[in-house]
Amino acid sequence: MKRGSFIGISALVLGTAAFTGCSKSDDTGVTVLRIANWEEYIDLGGWDEEEVIDLDEDTEIFGENSMVEDFENWYYETYGKRVKVEYSTFGTNEELYNQMTIGDVFDLACPSEYMIMKLMREDKVLKYTESFFDTEDENNYYALGVSPFIKKRFDGLNIEGKELSEYAAGYMWGTLGIVYNPEYVTDEQASCFDIMLDKSLKKQITIKDSVRDSYFAAAAIHFKDILKSEDLLNSENYYEQLTKYFNKTDEDTVDAIEDILSDIKDNVYSFETDSGKADMVTGKVLANLQWSGDAVYTLDQADEDGVELCYAVPEEGSNLWFDGWVLLKDGIGEDTEKLQAAQAFVNFVSMPENAIRNMYYIGYTSAISGGDSDLIFNYLDWNYGAEEEGDEEDGEDVEGAEDAEEAEDADEAENAETGDETEITDEDEETVEYCIGYFFSDAEDADEEYCITTEKSQTRRQLYAQYPPIDVVERCAIMECFSDEDNARINHMWINVRCFDPSKIFGG
Amino acid sequence: MRSVINRKTLALPYVIFMILFVIFPLIVILYYGFTNGSGHLSFANFAAFFGSRRTVGTLLYSVVIAVITTLVCLLIAYPTAYILAKGAFCRKHGFLMVFVMPMWINFTLRITALKEILSLVEGNLAMHPFFNTIFCMVYDFLPFMIMPLFNSLTKLDKSYIEASADLGATFPQTLRKVILPLSVPGIVSGVTMVFLPAMTNYVVLDMVYNSTYIMGSLIGSYFSSYDWNNGAVISAILLMLIGLFTLMTGRLAAEKGGGRR
Repeated sequence: MKRGSFIGISALVLGTAAFTGCSKSDDTGVTVLRIANWEEYIDLGGWDEEEVIDLDEDTEIFGENSMVEDFENWYYETYGKRVKVEYSTFGTNEELYNQMTIGDVFDLACPSEYMIMKLMREDKVLKYTESFFDTEDENNYYALGVSPFIKKRFDGLNIEGKELSEYAAGYMWGTLGIVYNPEYVTDEQASCFDIMLDKSLKKQITIKDSVRDSYFAAAAIHFKDILKSEDLLNSENYYEQLTKYFNKTDEDTVDAIEDILSDIKDNVYSFETDSGKADMVTGKVLANLQWSGDAVYTLDQADEDGVELCYAVPEEGSNLWFDGWVLLKDGIGEDTEKLQAAQAFVNFVSMPENAIRNMYYIGYTSAISGGDSDLIFNYLDWNYGAEEEGDEEDGEDVEGAEDAEEAEDADEAENAETGDETEITDEDEETVEYCIGYFFSDAEDADEEYCITTEKSQTRRQLYAQYPPIDVVERCAIMECFSDEDNARINHMWINVRCFDPSKIFGG
Repeated sequence: MRSVINRKTLALPYVIFMILFVIFPLIVILYYGFTNGSGHLSFANFAAFFGSRRTVGTLLYSVVIAVITTLVCLLIAYPTAYILAKGAFCRKHGFLMVFVMPMWINFTLRITALKEILSLVEGNLAMHPFFNTIFCMVYDFLPFMIMPLFNSLTKLDKSYIEASADLGATFPQTLRKVILPLSVPGIVSGVTMVFLPAMTNYVVLDMVYNSTYIMGSLIGSYFSSYDWNNGAVISAILLMLIGLFTLMTGRLAAEKGGGRR
């Protein structure tokens, strides 16, 4: 009782802003939709004119206005109702949870899988309605377009008898891997979480300042022999086993992981929250534990600075994560207008062209494959496909480079200098077939249809990070939501790792 | 008739402010610190903090960082403030400005710049996390030490120093017997302004890649794992330590500086 009143008062003091936004939608006919999303996790518009994505003659994708603004207009055009979005952001799942605890109210939020499961366990989220999954309705872009792979992974997840797939709609997904500088770090080194303990890279690697990600990496090191054993790899229920090992939280495992993380702490450059990306580009560090979407961003930034970086998902297995939209009970309650608007928002961002806009803008990978629409695959081909013949546009570029005092791209300049008058054939750059059928289709022969001819380097770079090949995703496990007791143990372990150990003064 | 607006009513906004932003948060901290998850009175959090070698180690580590930072700041700031207040530069406030101006720039920006310089000199910053932490903290907090020292040294009447010299004291003697005792209030407020933030300013540690927690980061990590009770008890412990420290330094200031007038 007392606790409740205290929270009540602090909520009053701290959350007044949220309360003022609590106006009932019926009064004005405008539905207010309060959305909480990650920082920099949606297209905010304002693209440069050159940035237009022209997939073919009919389709041009361009982010003029912000996605939220476009949604408000689309909702009015489609359903004839006005909606006003109040958009706010959070930096970590825990921040979102704490915001909600002190009294901020949201209708729709986009936390990660384990937080979704925690909210489900605490009965804070609503089920999506049946009409949301109705594939007859052409406006149900999510149900029509969600990737069969994401669907399959969702289906295995449940907590206290609740199916995750009924409570969450996937937004972005990816893997946990290692961004590395191939000049100093070999592919083999980067293909293993042991790199964190590699003495030859002492103080030149960064790791995430996050309990769960660090725990995952350490678990991979702890169980590496089992994870790489033939027995496990060939077992029938490989995926279940894999998931089990990465979700072990018994005391022995936690103790072992504490030791591994303490060694990692002594060996790594730092536990970083956001500085890792910049430090990779400037060369302060040579490898960095990173989420795939941030890896794409880092690689893009480095490309602009003329540094080539790569991304690898370690061989022993890694983390498959996703962020998904959930309908929050506190905010929506019984309000059917809000519910409709919230579900419509999820559908709107799931429209293939909007998924592309978001991907282009933030670098992460959408959970949407587009269903019958080939737009997303075409975008990938547009983005990563190697030009088999130098098409007109590229020809112009080369001519331009000859005139320009400084050629932007060193390779192109070289080609121009060697006197190739006709076209650039990129003879030194091999191309390979890169197949990601698993993401786009259930069909057995999907790989035949969904292949991109791409530069060989892309198999270690952005394309690999954004759409990993099937053998990589098959060894990636989802890290589930731990019980409160296990969480307390893991947090205690983390504090032990990070706190100063007085015995070190005497122990040398 | 007396005006409705008297002194008491004028103080009202201030009282309301104090209750809302000082008293009330304190009560909330103490409440969470001394209850357990289900709202019952409990000293378990308190015991857990002092029972763990690591958390006590973190307290010591923070104190060591804060003490060294404060001492180094004092050693640099005192001569600087003295020269600014009494030396050839006195009355030229432009020089004081030079020392205080960094305060106008956001400190993360300053540390970022300093970091680049340090990595030019040292190469890999992560090799010397402790030194870098102290270096950046000193740089960050130096103006906060100079200002109060400067203020108290300018107030010091020059005739005292002259009298001391007339009576045959050498400058070191004057410094020890006259100047230092008279500037104790300045030292105390300077030390308070540096020591306390240095114990909790974990942003600096993060920025110079020091992966070891200090008190501020420890509190933060409890709050981000929704453990408000343990987070609050550490805040409360810190509060008590600071209270004790202020009490001690306050008494020192009263003893040394009290007989001045």
